[in-house]
Amino acid sequence: MGGNGEPALLALTFLERMGQGAVEGVLELVDPDALADLVPLQLRGRAERVLRPYLRQVATAFPDLGLEVRRLFTGTDGTVVAEVTTRGVQRAAFLGIPAQGRHVDLDQVWLLHVRAGRIDGVRAYWCQYHVYHCLGVRRLPRAARARGGSDGRSSEDVQLVGDRSGLHEGPSGA
Amino acid sequence: MKALQAHDVEAMLDLCTENADFHYKGYEVRGRQRMVRGQGKARAIAKAFWTSMIDAFPDLTSDVRSVIADEAGNVAVECLMLGTQARIFGPFGNLGSHFDLPHLFLFQVNDEGLIEDISAYWDTADWYQQLGRLELD
Repeated sequence: MGGNGEPALLALTFLERMGQGAVEGVLELVDPDALADLVPLQLRGRAERVLRPYLRQVATAFPDLGLEVRRLFTGTDGTVVAEVTTRGVQRAAFLGIPAQGRHVDLDQVWLLHVRAGRIDGVRAYWCQYHVYHCLGVRRLPRAARARGGSDGRSSEDVQLVGDRSGLHEGPSGA
Repeated sequence: MKALQAHDVEAMLDLCTENADFHYKGYEVRGRQRMVRGQGKARAIAKAFWTSMIDAFPDLTSDVRSVIADEAGNVAVECLMLGTQARIFGPFGNLGSHFDLPHLFLFQVNDEGLIEDISAYWDTADWYQQLGRLELD
């Protein structure tokens, strides 16, 4: 891993706590005004309103969550780029998908911008199709796309996604 | 990214080492008998992928939003890929739809200035929805 210095250590702590499901511990490292952008979920807004509900859902749905950092480096602008793999077995509903005890093995990239010892920007990329497939979703919702707006969706929309009917139409039989 | 915008696949490959690795995390097409993954060597899998993408989306372009790099050859590029489908591509039989899809590329560049590893992340679910396909493979 090519990370070094305080930003990399802060990012590693963020990821370690995320892998432990320690939601409040993660948020302690994040500036209250930080902008969080969960790109595949099209959720963007203050970390408090976007990151907290997402991490809570992950921690509840995947109580055995594990996280492996595969590559990490710090850009000259103070952004830590972390390529990780998260793994877990679904034990509770997640984004409206009922638990079937399925295993998820997901590659993600987290971009964590660090300033003055705090994370003041969070952006994450992964393939949500892969999540749906692992969890037995057979048909995608015909979702309204929020991209292009200034603020994206808020935490209420995390719940809205969770309540979206038609997201899950039964297991694929895998 | 400039070579991609110019649809110059050979120029893209000239920027890679002979043995460069290629990992397109969002590309998994599950057929009845086999799964096609966007993983392998750039000079084989990437060449085929990029050539067919450009063929299927003749107006394919990218809008680079940020470049994050360190001094050890690690580079992350955030961009929006855009295109309009003109031909069948992978699971997408529906023609004429437009997509604009956030991508994150990770490059590892060696001391000679050549790319030895490319990874790319995007959400295939979003891509499916935009191109009118709702059934998962």
